[in-house]
Amino acid sequence: MKKIGNKILAGYSLLVYAFLYVPIIIMVIFSFNDSRLLAVWRGFSFKWYESLFADPTVWVAFYNSIWVAALTSGVSMILGTMTAFVMVRYSFRGKALLDSALYFPVVIPEITEALSLLLFYVFTGIPLGALTVAIGHIAFAISFALIVIRARLVGFDRSVEEAAKSLGANELRTFFHVTLPIILPGVIAGGLLAFTVSYDDFVKTAFTAGPGFQTLPLRIYAMASRGGVSPQLNALATVTLVISLMLAVVRLRLSKSQA
Amino acid sequence: MRKSLQNRAGLLASPTVIYLAIFFFAPFAIVLLYSFGMIDLLRQLRPVFTLEYYIEFFNSVVPGVFARSILMAFATTVACLALGYPMAYYIAVKSVRRKETLLLLVIIPFWVSFLLRTYALMTILDVNGVLNVTLSSLGLISKPLNLMYNPQAVLLGMIYNYLPFMILPLYASMEKLDKSLLEASGSLGAGPLRSFVHVTLPLTKSGIGAGSILVFVPSVGEFIIPQLLGGTESFMVGNLIWTLFLKARNLWFGSAVSIILIALVIFMVGIYMKRISKGEEMTI
Repeated sequence: MKKIGNKILAGYSLLVYAFLYVPIIIMVIFSFNDSRLLAVWRGFSFKWYESLFADPTVWVAFYNSIWVAALTSGVSMILGTMTAFVMVRYSFRGKALLDSALYFPVVIPEITEALSLLLFYVFTGIPLGALTVAIGHIAFAISFALIVIRARLVGFDRSVEEAAKSLGANELRTFFHVTLPIILPGVIAGGLLAFTVSYDDFVKTAFTAGPGFQTLPLRIYAMASRGGVSPQLNALATVTLVISLMLAVVRLRLSKSQA
Repeated sequence: MRKSLQNRAGLLASPTVIYLAIFFFAPFAIVLLYSFGMIDLLRQLRPVFTLEYYIEFFNSVVPGVFARSILMAFATTVACLALGYPMAYYIAVKSVRRKETLLLLVIIPFWVSFLLRTYALMTILDVNGVLNVTLSSLGLISKPLNLMYNPQAVLLGMIYNYLPFMILPLYASMEKLDKSLLEASGSLGAGPLRSFVHVTLPLTKSGIGAGSILVFVPSVGEFIIPQLLGGTESFMVGNLIWTLFLKARNLWFGSAVSIILIALVIFMVGIYMKRISKGEEMTI
């Protein structure tokens, strides 16, 4: 009786796993299809990747995505680390309020955040473009970076800092030579998470980019909503997917190395 | 000493606080001003305070769209729970090494953006997609099925994207479950079903709560999935807001709709937080 139950449970779980993976695997497989029609398999080919990499607008979108994400990641990492210190090591009036304010950007529906930023830019007369996109990404990426960095800082053994100080190192020196090297994997993991949320973002980017600026998600969305599915879009989606997964693997390694 | 510590905390936190005040909270204040008609066409503040956009809300079709979104989010949550609960249990009772692998397989889809995963579903459901081509080459259908641009496709897309958000907190609560309690109830004569209803289910309540809120709250305001997989009759609040702002350019009414959505989300999260602080622990 129990055995049958376990078998049913295993079979059920296998089906759910299949549900999670089959669409992604099919998307990747058919990016290598030689045929113009997406789902009619005509043999293995790299031709959609070749045409993708020959398309200068794809490179521009790729370049835009990367530098916006890099800027977002850098700023979020620095501000996130500073704020994490405050939240972990100090107690002050209004801390609970600040704490919930810092989680707001994670909780609020992104579409409302996106349009509020658009209205803000319209109201203040800031012209839309690359910078307005980065500003918007940083506004929610700080919170994501903060969550990761904060978690690492909580488990920090402060006696090493005291040792450094009793040996004559000042605050700044202690921070850069003792504290930072120890929490660095957490800081970088937070920065990578900020990079990923920026790199993957569609909604906020779409609202704040203006007509002349395109990132990879904007391009994928434009192609998917205009012409539906195509092997070339599969190729672009696959490249984007591989980059996301690589970022995640590095992040996972980093957070493990510290624990 | 205490004063200098306070100052240092203020110094370290202020860049983030100022940044969020300008680029996160001030924009919401502007949405509020728009929703009360306090900003005019020329982007100037005007000494007006009107509730007409909120009144318009209740006289429009928008409450119906809200109801549809909530219904869709509810259906998504229930389906994710039904799919995720047995699977989380299956992972939780495995040996440590297999557990790690199985859990990683749940986390990997997390690393792929909603846009890409929704597109992956399109490659299957599209008129020229894998399912239609396969079925017609097998001679099972004579003309392609319309699998996209309907509420079912949106629901499928929502479940597909949100499922990992449900499984992880469920798993976390089951992991902590003391297996000896199940043995105890078994040895006292309870069958598997009875043990499940009276032991497992109550003890994993916190995971069910956390998973449900993680699925339900963001799915009410979901944009990408209904936009790509749905037709106009399956549009949700997020799509409506998008249309009001970027297509219709009705900033005032759009702002009122957004404020109502935000209020709804804060209300739901607030209820949940209150329940947690009353004694139920959070598992995420």
